[in-house]
Amino acid sequence: MPTAPHTAPHPRRRHRWGEHGLAWAFLLPSLVVFVLFIGYPLGRTLYLSAHANDLFGAPSRYVGWQHYTDLLTSADFRRTLVTTALFTLLTVVPGVLGALVLVLLLENRIRGVRLLRSAFALPFAFSVASASVVFAVFFNPASGVINGLLSHLGLGPVGWLTDDRYALVSVAATTVWMSLGYNVLVLSAGVGSIPGELLEAARLDGASGLRLARSITVPMLGPHLFFLTVVSTVHSLQSFGQIHILTKGGPDGATRTLVYSVYEKAFAYGSSDFGTASAQAVVLLVVVLACTAVQFGVLERKVHYA
Amino acid sequence: MKKSARALAALLVAGLTLTACSSGDSTSGSGGGSTDAAAPGAQALDQAGGVTIVEFWHSMTGKNADVLTGLVDQFNAAHQGKIQIKAEFQGKYDELVAKYKASVQQKGTPALVQVYDIGTRFMIDSKQTVPAQAFADKDGYSLDDLDPNIRNYYSVGGKLAAMPFNSSMPVLYLNTDAFKEAGLDPAKPPTTLAELGDLAQKLTKKDANGQTVRYGFGAAIYGWFVEQLLAESGTMYCDQDNGRSNKAGKAVFDSAQGARIVQWWADLVKNGYAANTGRVTDDAQAAFKSGTVAMHLESTGVLRGYTEAAKFTVGTAAFPKVTASDQGGPVIGGASLWISGPGHSDAEKRAAWEFEKFLTSPEQQAAWHTGTGYFPVNRKSLDDPKDKEWVAKYPQFQTAIDQLKATKPAPATAGCLLGVMPQARKGVETAIEQTIKGSKTAQQALTDAAKELQPAIDSYNSSVG
Repeated sequence: MPTAPHTAPHPRRRHRWGEHGLAWAFLLPSLVVFVLFIGYPLGRTLYLSAHANDLFGAPSRYVGWQHYTDLLTSADFRRTLVTTALFTLLTVVPGVLGALVLVLLLENRIRGVRLLRSAFALPFAFSVASASVVFAVFFNPASGVINGLLSHLGLGPVGWLTDDRYALVSVAATTVWMSLGYNVLVLSAGVGSIPGELLEAARLDGASGLRLARSITVPMLGPHLFFLTVVSTVHSLQSFGQIHILTKGGPDGATRTLVYSVYEKAFAYGSSDFGTASAQAVVLLVVVLACTAVQFGVLERKVHYA
Repeated sequence: MKKSARALAALLVAGLTLTACSSGDSTSGSGGGSTDAAAPGAQALDQAGGVTIVEFWHSMTGKNADVLTGLVDQFNAAHQGKIQIKAEFQGKYDELVAKYKASVQQKGTPALVQVYDIGTRFMIDSKQTVPAQAFADKDGYSLDDLDPNIRNYYSVGGKLAAMPFNSSMPVLYLNTDAFKEAGLDPAKPPTTLAELGDLAQKLTKKDANGQTVRYGFGAAIYGWFVEQLLAESGTMYCDQDNGRSNKAGKAVFDSAQGARIVQWWADLVKNGYAANTGRVTDDAQAAFKSGTVAMHLESTGVLRGYTEAAKFTVGTAAFPKVTASDQGGPVIGGASLWISGPGHSDAEKRAAWEFEKFLTSPEQQAAWHTGTGYFPVNRKSLDDPKDKEWVAKYPQFQTAIDQLKATKPAPATAGCLLGVMPQARKGVETAIEQTIKGSKTAQQALTDAAKELQPAIDSYNSSVG
């Protein structure tokens, strides 16, 4: 509009611009943080994944997709992917279902339920490192508590962390124990938010026990269960501390997950292979994104939002 | 005007790059090379004036860190107003090297850095350091007091690349109570792998249910022990005389001797005479301390911890040989101190050297030895009255002294110099696990490990040029 400059801008438009400006101003701090701490590292990772390294791990020459094609043709890496998938299944499914069972049981009006609820939420207060060290003591094949108990029953000894048939399960069990506290906490809050009249109506209709859980409590916990599944999956894919402390990825690579493999390539054994490590990190990002997308696409459709 | 300014800037940048290159060249070729020019003389400190601060990265924890801090404080007090050593813990050996690499990239290396034995080749190739030999030659300082075997490890072409500081050796630990209970004489420890296997069988104890309550043998799956056994048998770990005569291009741990060692270990586990506690050394140590394992391989560095924690009498014996005719000996482990060249002033380099001389003097090494259990790198420390008193109190340590004295410096006992040594060690550990699991024979597992390592060696050597 050529005549517009002479007249004052439309009050509504000006108002909107001001609103946008304000919105951007408010967003700016988080935007800066986002770019600085997510955007830059991501870009840097992509850059490193396309470069070979010198002696000190600095990018030396451009190699394009080389690291990715090397990874996809490596039997070791395929094994790492399978281990990662297994580890995720072995931690997310028992972690979420176990917490659900505990919370449902806690719904029964028994004495000391508050105490039990806090007790089950307690693992949340443990750091990964201290919990792992405690489990390492439990699992010790020669002097551990678990094998001690087994030997009283005339069983064992089992190489919980040193036998490749059990190592992944043992690390997963430790992870389940650690995640149980948080999961119980979230689901307990979920149960508490179910409207009382809903449960009351169901009870009047004669529902109790399993029926009540199946038809009312669990569906009403849908959003919480969905949230836990997504978050546990991401957590599980990123697990590092317990693997590092309990097995260091061994024996013979039986507990080497994607994250641990990234660590090994970049920092362990003085290899400084940041190129391969970055390529693996990008693969991890894609896996996490894919898992989350699938969960949103498939699972969320079945979630009932009250 | 603008144009000429830009040209000027370009010239300046080019000039800076050139000088950077040339200064880099003058300090390259370190590690026994002829770079005496890079080592400043004593006057560097006097000319500097003020306090010269030396950043010192180390990996010592617990009791060892306390003793080190004590030594640093003592040195700083004696050089007040002149030198100040700022000791900084930078994580375990592996973590420290990772951080050191980052510091090279960012051109912010510490003036003095403690690096583990198997990082020696990398440190030489990094071309970031001034060899200790250069300082010693400059000063006419004698390095003859250093233990010859220890000196041998850190020397290339007869020249000392780094100053040894904390040295340890593996010994065979014995639960003497278990020996007596089994009707065996702890004064007659096994000397070969075959004897060790026999005794392990005799020392293994089962309860009424057939459950093993005590294993005859148990050690962490730690590649270091295989390196030691190979050295004991006089066998090389990598080619070119363990990388001593020329840069190593190939790992040769997959020899018949290597396979024999790994197979022996795996068979003991499979037959139920040895506990398999995995790679984590703490777990293997716990098994010995609790009495679940009667014979055990570990470093001398844990001796004091064992005598304090164990409820039985801890005995030590020489690290076993593979066969009775073996002529080799143990490889000295531990770490050494490296002085940084590029990016550091002459005063800093000089101050770091003064500190190195202090740390390796007879008196300080005696304090270090008695405080930590590390082996004194200075031979004269063992004559120190305080040190003698300590060895009398912990007679188990005499084993290590005798063991080292009996070892003649040779390429096999000098240990392998390989840029990717940490990865080689990891490969051997995987091979042990595979053999125990039974998925491969020892020979196959070691051959595969050597094959998998080859690309890493090649790419390392090509990046070093």
